[in-house]
Amino acid sequence: MIWLTWRQHRAEAIAATAVLLVLSAILVIVGLAMHATFDQNIASCFDGSAVDRDVCSTNLQAFQKTFGSATTALILLNAVPLAVGALLGAPLLAHELETGTLQLAWTQAVPRMRWLAVKVVSLMTLIVVLTGAFAALITWFRQPLDTLYGTYDAGAFDVEAIVPAAYALFAFTAGAAAGALLRRSISAITVSLLAYVAVRVTVESGLRPRYRAPLTLVENIAAGSHGIAIGTGNRSDWTLDEGFADAGGRHLASTDINTFDDAARDAGVSLTTYMHDHGIQRWVSYHPASRFWEFQFIEAGIFLTLAAVLLAVVVWRVKRRAL
Amino acid sequence: MTALDADSALRTDGLGKRFRQTWALRDCTLTIPVGRVAALVGPNGAGKTTLLRLLVGLLAPTRGSVEVLGQSPTTNTSQALSRVGFLAQEHPLYRRFTVADLLRFGQACNLRFDRDLAQRRLSALGIPLDRKAGALSGGQQAQVSLALAVAKRPDLLVLDEPLASLDPVARREFLQSLMGAVADDGVTVVFSSHVIGELERVCDHIVVLNHGRIVLSGDIEMLLAEHRMLLGPRTTNDLDRSPNVIEAIHADRHTTVLVRDGAAPAPGWQPQPVSLEELVLGYLRRPAHHGTGSTTRESGAEA
Repeated sequence: MIWLTWRQHRAEAIAATAVLLVLSAILVIVGLAMHATFDQNIASCFDGSAVDRDVCSTNLQAFQKTFGSATTALILLNAVPLAVGALLGAPLLAHELETGTLQLAWTQAVPRMRWLAVKVVSLMTLIVVLTGAFAALITWFRQPLDTLYGTYDAGAFDVEAIVPAAYALFAFTAGAAAGALLRRSISAITVSLLAYVAVRVTVESGLRPRYRAPLTLVENIAAGSHGIAIGTGNRSDWTLDEGFADAGGRHLASTDINTFDDAARDAGVSLTTYMHDHGIQRWVSYHPASRFWEFQFIEAGIFLTLAAVLLAVVVWRVKRRAL
Repeated sequence: MTALDADSALRTDGLGKRFRQTWALRDCTLTIPVGRVAALVGPNGAGKTTLLRLLVGLLAPTRGSVEVLGQSPTTNTSQALSRVGFLAQEHPLYRRFTVADLLRFGQACNLRFDRDLAQRRLSALGIPLDRKAGALSGGQQAQVSLALAVAKRPDLLVLDEPLASLDPVARREFLQSLMGAVADDGVTVVFSSHVIGELERVCDHIVVLNHGRIVLSGDIEMLLAEHRMLLGPRTTNDLDRSPNVIEAIHADRHTTVLVRDGAAPAPGWQPQPVSLEELVLGYLRRPAHHGTGSTTRESGAEA
């Protein structure tokens, strides 16, 4: 049975591995250059050992100019779990239904639940190995970028650590379930693609910020400073929202801030001094960088739960001979 | 009862299968004894494929029961599966597999797969083992499918329209292979077809299906002995009421009646033996609910 699974899916497995190897080669080449530049020119700016802030600033700009596009390109790698999962999942039953070969497979001396179990376990193992290894490489690749932009960035959280494998298993089971219900590979690929994008967007924008209650940082405005700080001061934290509050803690609308500008000018003081004198505080709602792994596990758990439900649909269809 | 069970390769009792609102098969009660080569005939859409899929456990019944070699096919155990060989309609194969791959597949997925036998059969037919299944002709694909099913050394071989997509030469070769494969083993064979002409040579049992119901079933020899064609002067009297009258065909000057169970011919009626084709067509032309009455047809001048 394992031989059959390999023989039937080896073309897709080899193609997926080949594409990932090419992408990996690119990541390694660019990544080595990026790590070298970062260690040489930038790292010292973050561990406090840098001597010259201006040199740091120049180096950082040069670094961002050279490797900044890598961050954007990484977002495209969100398609990897989808491609690996859907292309193996959707045809699993649908292709055999289309060609009639399920009748051949299910009338050999292998009970169909064992047939399904061997196929699903082998393909899921392959998917986890491929996407897991690729995510590990991306995690290494992004180390310098993570130091600069944090790990909650869309180009980071979604392609690093353990969530890509969970996404891929979700895409695989969505494809398999759609194939079992729709009986057509093309429809199954289309439906699982749409479902994947819809669920990913919903979870990312709707649920991820709510995995834990955000922390809030409240800070007085320093009088006479040149500008007002933003964020938490740690680049790796995930800032959800920020703004100003009055002395009583009431959040202020942006129109209120505009009135401060005029009032400060009338009073002849700087804006920061005016705000400081009136007890205006700055607040930041955020998730600290330390929650990265917790969020990874929660998100992976959500997608694995969905995958389990979809797999149950497949088992149910196969078991009750509804195909 | 147990003695009967031992002698029947398959039995169905009140078997019915519904797809959404439509009954593809209903009230199907059937016994096929061990060692028979049984043809399942009927027009397209009569429910042949549904019945065969129920026999091999690809479908589960909506009503009634199936017992194949003493077991329900829905138990889906290795033991039960290994005793039944199935050749699906259009003989589906993994098109990207070579013939050798398909034999390896058969060996990997069966308990008593005879790879040497299959290999010998295919090389005798000149089918190269290193050819991709998709590159074989329709006849060769059918032969590979048959070789796979036969190499399982099944006790029951079920074939769904094995001849449908084959040209006359390939049909002949296929039937020869089939008969050669099952001759010595006492294997029970059930195969469906909508052509009756070629069946008489190879079958000794027939099941006729129409509109999802069995309209005739039994050993061909016995059925032919039980039926007569009566030829007499044209009449439309009363013939249709007798349950023994299967079909009456009225021509200009005479009437031909297909009757069962030695209904004594009235004076002036000449009894004639009936051919298998006439028998099957007579039953297929009966109305769907055939509890009473027969078909009455006005036939053209040629009758």
